[in-house]
Amino acid sequence: MSVVTESPRGNCVLGGIGAVLSAVHKVCPIYHSGPGCCMQTSAGESGQAGGKQPYFLSSVSFPCSNMLEREVVFGGVEKLKTTIEGAVEIIDADAYFVLTGCTAGIIGDDIKSVTNEFKEQGVKIYPIETPGFAGESYLGYETAFDTFLEQIVKPDLPKQKNLVNLFGIIPYHDPFWSGNLEELSRILKKLGLQVNTFFTEDQGIETIETSSKAVLNIIVHPWLLKGAAKKYEEEFKVPTLRIPGLPIGATDTSVFVRQVGEALNLKQDLIEQVIKEEEDYVYHYLEQAIGALSWKRFAVVADSNIATGVTRFLANDYSFTPIVVIISEPTFREEDRERIKKQITDLEYATPPKVYFEPDFYKINKILEQYPEITMLIGSSNEREYALAKDLQCSVIAYPITDRLIFNRTYIGYRGSLTLVEDFYDNL
Amino acid sequence: MSSYSGIRESRPNTFNDYGGDSQKTEQDFKNGCLKMADRTFSQGLQCQQINSMAALMSLDDAVFIAHSPQGCVGCSTLAVDMYRVGQAHRGVSLIKSPRMIVTNLDQKDIILGGEEKLKEAIQLAIERYAPKLIFVFTSCASGIIGDDIDAIVREAQETSESIIVPIHCDGFKSKVCASGFDAAFISISKYLLPKEKPQKQKNLINLFAPTTVSYKDQLEIERMLGLLDLKCNYIPFYSSLDKISAIPAAEASVSICKVFADEFMKELEETYDIPYSHTVMPIGVRNTDKWFRGVAALVGKEDVAEAYIEKEHARVLPQLEKIKERLQGKKVFICGGTGRSFAAAALIDDFGMELVGLETPTYDFDAQIDIEYLNGIHKDFVIDVANMQPFEQINLVNRLKPDVFIGVPSWSARLGIPTTHVLDMKRPTMGYDGIIYLGNKIADQVQNPGFNKKLAAHARLPYKKSWYEKNPFQFIKTTGE
Repeated sequence: MSVVTESPRGNCVLGGIGAVLSAVHKVCPIYHSGPGCCMQTSAGESGQAGGKQPYFLSSVSFPCSNMLEREVVFGGVEKLKTTIEGAVEIIDADAYFVLTGCTAGIIGDDIKSVTNEFKEQGVKIYPIETPGFAGESYLGYETAFDTFLEQIVKPDLPKQKNLVNLFGIIPYHDPFWSGNLEELSRILKKLGLQVNTFFTEDQGIETIETSSKAVLNIIVHPWLLKGAAKKYEEEFKVPTLRIPGLPIGATDTSVFVRQVGEALNLKQDLIEQVIKEEEDYVYHYLEQAIGALSWKRFAVVADSNIATGVTRFLANDYSFTPIVVIISEPTFREEDRERIKKQITDLEYATPPKVYFEPDFYKINKILEQYPEITMLIGSSNEREYALAKDLQCSVIAYPITDRLIFNRTYIGYRGSLTLVEDFYDNL
Repeated sequence: MSSYSGIRESRPNTFNDYGGDSQKTEQDFKNGCLKMADRTFSQGLQCQQINSMAALMSLDDAVFIAHSPQGCVGCSTLAVDMYRVGQAHRGVSLIKSPRMIVTNLDQKDIILGGEEKLKEAIQLAIERYAPKLIFVFTSCASGIIGDDIDAIVREAQETSESIIVPIHCDGFKSKVCASGFDAAFISISKYLLPKEKPQKQKNLINLFAPTTVSYKDQLEIERMLGLLDLKCNYIPFYSSLDKISAIPAAEASVSICKVFADEFMKELEETYDIPYSHTVMPIGVRNTDKWFRGVAALVGKEDVAEAYIEKEHARVLPQLEKIKERLQGKKVFICGGTGRSFAAAALIDDFGMELVGLETPTYDFDAQIDIEYLNGIHKDFVIDVANMQPFEQINLVNRLKPDVFIGVPSWSARLGIPTTHVLDMKRPTMGYDGIIYLGNKIADQVQNPGFNKKLAAHARLPYKKSWYEKNPFQFIKTTGE
């Protein structure tokens, strides 16, 4: 399924799994892999996501069996065992996950029987048998959730009627994930809800275990977690509301609020009150900087989640002119592409932009060359080169981001849209 | 290098897993009593493929192909960043990214082989960029499934004007990431250098440097070698096929880092009669003296070197005294790569500091020379032969309570200890001015540790409390080899 790609915007599935787990509070991934995978996957994910590194474990602090020739030839199960023993002895984790690199995957080490031994001793430990070559980062996010659902989430827990799960925003692969989850949580809390994100506010393995108590999954992404949504619904009776792209600005965020409100049967006046407060807040500032940014014809090169959000906000709420949008993650299902396309082209006033699906650096640039009328290029650090060559304003807001430091900044929701406009100005 | 495999652990008396006190270590090594060992528990290492790619990815007019799944180019992001920053520092306004293609080996390729994808990638590289050079980097996956990379390259070369160079850097083949440098140079030698000896270019010296050397440092070193009337062929950062082709024409070779191109320089001497100097990294007064003298001796300009060293000492030593007043007697723990850790340890003497711990990836004959020197000026200190392994480091730092930690700061900073680094890829650290810059940086941190102290009150390191009470080396077990 994977194709030869120039400067791919993603890591392997191992990188995706590692990034997700490193964002869960007090969780210890253990790599059963060759000697470079911990660094490579972390550099590829958190290392290209705005300079912040997981505080608990990442990169060279991940326990690793560092398989060498001997393990590749004779099997690495013994090395894995002592690695797990050491990890359990010294790492103060609530749960341990064993991940597999290409080496372990190809030689076929039986990691499950190893983790079972530790399980019998009472260690919370979970095997993930999806080696690096099985796919890319996005599959890693989905694999992590599959693991949660198959091995961790508890069945038959009583429902908690104000509890929701907020998914779809990928730790690190979305460099603004912390801020994004925080802003959407802030809005949901105003609606009286309690929010599981798994990745913020020190939520850990216990949150994952009890996520079946939620009354709704809110998946903010055009296509991720289809399988997980089904499983939550069928096995744990948690239905899913899909928001097909990050909501940015007053219009889309208010749609988001209304959809959540409707799905949960929240009181209409509460919903409208929250929307009014928040929209007033946004426009209170926007009206103080009218014309601060000159109008732009823009192109977007980004993952589908941010690309849909930013295109819709700039076109619908800020009257910029969308010209071309290039979705840069690998997408495989036609229905997903249609959903993304619809989000991007179904605009209020603006003429719909052309939409492409292309992860390859060279081909992306070739597409951009067909649109000499663009005056602003919104993308990743990879787009700086094209923008420099064509003397375009360039705004780096999508993975990979290697030239910005991002803690809790967000461009989504109500407040994030103001930051986005601020940063566009800074960047003139 | 014909006989050298490129795998560092194949060299005699090379130890990668060890911990102990420095005086005893020196004696044990001398008496052949150090034992081969392995860690039964360890944290992630750096694989050799990372180093192979990092060494070459700033070469001009080249395309880099990773024959691997997508994950194996994760660390190339650092090389990409260095290349971009390197251009900015050199005043290039239209900053480019390196051209990198990944074959993206997947499940199907693992079973059926990935050779077709490699052919496709080579074809794409040629169609898109018609580069002078195409490098193909192998991976664990391509190695284990047994793709015949050399054969594919040979076949593609028949119709290609680009020179295609395979680099055998499968991660699982070596525990020592510096092996990746050797893998790169072995291939450069085999595929890019002429078999016959070329005409010498007068006063040309090969100056080898890992990509972590900043442009400021490059300029300073080139300036110093200019004093010896030497013209530098700086390899491989921001280099080119032309510069690589000029390597055999040089009159001498030297490296900025001890583990970079050391085997390659040996080979250049054997094949092309190019003498080389292999001393230390030019960080700190003593090391800069030693490094500079080493080069001067190669070209018979010892008198020039001595005059310069004397002049620089007169200029720098009084400034050093001021730094010394601020740092005298402070206890220091150092962690770094092989070259930098020992260089930094020597530099500490310039500042009158006391070495309490040293973490370095490899112990070998070269390390022994440095340890003998350090044992002469410091009391007993702890040696941890480890590539990172933050769990050991944090245990030791917590135990030894240094006044300052020099190395990657991510962990020690969270114990509240002032931290600084001798590896600054974007600023000066080398030569006589570098030491002043470094010294002030360390002294400023020691004087004003507020950030780390406050951070420590909130930071959450991942280790159990009980770990700090245990023997930091408890997982190092001799293998009886």
